[in-house]
Amino acid sequence: MLTGIHRSFGKNKAVDGVSIELGSGVFGLLGPNGAGKTSLLRMLATVLPPSSGEIRLLERDPRGPAARREIRRRLGYLPQNLGYYPSFTVVEFIEYFALLKEMPSAQVPKAVALAVERVDLGAKAKAKLRTLSGGMLRRVGIAQAIVNNPDLLLLDEPTAGLDPEQRVQFRALLRSLGETATVIVSTHLVEDVGAACSEVALMSAGKIVFRGTPDELTARGAGHGVGDAPLERGYSAVLSAARS
Amino acid sequence: MSVTSMPPHRLAPSRLATSRFTLPESVRALRLEFKRNAVPYVLPLLAAVFYFNTLRTADGFPPVWTLRASAITDHMLFEFSAFAGGLAAWAGSRDGRRKTADMVATTPRAAWARLSITLAGTLSWLLLAFLAGVAVLYIQTALQATWGGPPLWPVFVGAAGVTVVTVIGFACGVFFPGRFTAPLVAIVALVLYQTGLRQALSVTASGTYALLSPANSPPVVDAGVYYHAAPDLSIVQVMFMGGIALALFGALGLATTLRELTPERGLASLRAALARTDGWLLRAVAVILVACGVAASWTAFALAGTAKPDAVGGWQIPALHSAASDQPVPAAPACTSSSGFQVCVHPAFSFYLSDVAEVLDPVAAEIAGLPGAPVSAKEVASMIGGQDVPSGISGNPPVFEFTAERVGIYFGQFLGIPDPVGWREGFQQGLLDPFLAGPSQQAGSVSLGPAQQAVEDALLTAAGTNVPATIGKMLQNGQPIAGPPAVRSAAQRFGALSASARHAWLAGHLAALRAGTITLAQIP
Repeated sequence: MLTGIHRSFGKNKAVDGVSIELGSGVFGLLGPNGAGKTSLLRMLATVLPPSSGEIRLLERDPRGPAARREIRRRLGYLPQNLGYYPSFTVVEFIEYFALLKEMPSAQVPKAVALAVERVDLGAKAKAKLRTLSGGMLRRVGIAQAIVNNPDLLLLDEPTAGLDPEQRVQFRALLRSLGETATVIVSTHLVEDVGAACSEVALMSAGKIVFRGTPDELTARGAGHGVGDAPLERGYSAVLSAARS
Repeated sequence: MSVTSMPPHRLAPSRLATSRFTLPESVRALRLEFKRNAVPYVLPLLAAVFYFNTLRTADGFPPVWTLRASAITDHMLFEFSAFAGGLAAWAGSRDGRRKTADMVATTPRAAWARLSITLAGTLSWLLLAFLAGVAVLYIQTALQATWGGPPLWPVFVGAAGVTVVTVIGFACGVFFPGRFTAPLVAIVALVLYQTGLRQALSVTASGTYALLSPANSPPVVDAGVYYHAAPDLSIVQVMFMGGIALALFGALGLATTLRELTPERGLASLRAALARTDGWLLRAVAVILVACGVAASWTAFALAGTAKPDAVGGWQIPALHSAASDQPVPAAPACTSSSGFQVCVHPAFSFYLSDVAEVLDPVAAEIAGLPGAPVSAKEVASMIGGQDVPSGISGNPPVFEFTAERVGIYFGQFLGIPDPVGWREGFQQGLLDPFLAGPSQQAGSVSLGPAQQAVEDALLTAAGTNVPATIGKMLQNGQPIAGPPAVRSAAQRFGALSASARHAWLAGHLAALRAGTITLAQIP
């Protein structure tokens, strides 16, 4: 639950008064570049503190160290710019993050194997990360995010670099994860939102200018000429309205 | 299996929660850090530098434990400082360089714990490499040394040096995570080490910084042989470096807080930073470690300021000094008397006993039975009571006492520059000088007159030593009192006599010769 969240970088307001409450399911966060999606996700990931406002995650206030630690145990996060350790193998990298997430040692191997299989990287499990393509690295990033079966999963541009087949599989994975967890997907690919999200919000200039289902967003685009797909037309219509 | 058909595998939060002490997880993470560390990639280069800089240098020293062990702090730490600093900075800057800072920041493990695991992985490799180098050095010494055992304090000082440079480098990497941090740290480590070495070798070697720096000039050749090498300075050095390492390690625990501080926001910034970072317990522990580290280093600095030269060429610090280390180390001398003239050396130098005896025997035979002629030769410590001990003849019956420093040129063979002729002549002169100048005289401070020099040259030639053209020593008030040709001529005359004739003449004229009343013309 976010209440009146603001975040500024100098004079630039990245997030400007966002209030939102989410339950389980896949939540899509749409918006143009610079809309504040990544800043909002970083605040939800407890990496970036808000300038003002209140955040409650998994019924806890992340400002307290103990609560923040408990939230992080149940959190999965894939940043927009995925970093990795080139000399680690796929399994080692995911295992490392599982251990940093304080998973019980005995459960780690099984959880790592499951995460690797979920992103379809079993054949590359022993490969060094430096040998992987961008799309495969993205899948490694997703695997480290889901290795602890998080209750709150934050994915920033998760499908960037994935081939079409992998994107289809990934959307299915998102739907599966959304059955029991809160999954927030920041993306500018509206087809991902349409295929995987039960709810969507559209950000512009740090504010949420639309919140509803993908169908409701599509409906906003009726009669609007910009965009190839109905959802894109809805996206454009809402943005145009917000800017005018 | 399709991802869609996979059953949701959920772990209850309570099962994810672990106890406060998560050793197995930490050990597993450490195993990964150790396995994928950058140090092994650099080990071949480090090994090559170690071979050329440390091992070959140590091989040029006589196989005496303390002397060989000095290569650990004088040479080995030099190369390890650069490598350790650079590699640790590389490891410390990893999350900044690899853009993983956000990902690791969202994990529940405290930043300090994460950094500690990474630091431990790098430090383990570097310490293992360091200890492997020490093992090679000590095994080589053990195969050659004839007495004693491996000194441990140089190893402790070296390990503390590697540790502190590693922690400094790592902290630099954490606080300044750039790709140029590692090479810069390596260069700075080299410069700091060189500065310490320069200080140590300078005239003002008693400066506190020089004493705290592990870099030092090589000790005397018999350091730690006759007397224990006092560990006072080593203790202070370990304390100083350990204190710095501890303080910086504590500072790493405050790294997140320190990085989030913005001076312009003052207390508000501090409160926000404290709220963002790890719990108060970790911060309290970090502050305590910083305080303990600073206190240890400051204490070591203060103690080093009280250091004074000890009686055997080292340093003693009154607050740490143990009188037991001033006592002689018991050792049964290695002796030989194959030609009737007994020669004894310290067992640490028994490798040159036969050479020393072979050189001394002929000259001892030439003067045997004459008044003041030594009946034996004995090696003694080169420094006692803070004073250099010169070679000389003393006691009743007279004994020729020489030091390992007197054997100096002999050690050239370890450096690959043997000078057997020069050594033989110099060492025999060491016995004849005090004999011909009088029992109260000591080699090294003896200035022979022309007649004494001629007799010495003749005796050396008779002993089978090829004496070069005699020069020097025959001065009086700065003016030559007899030219070398005259001395050489007298020496040739005297040397042409039979051994019994020389002996008889010496028996009759030795007192006058020592008194300086015999002229070159009076020599038969």
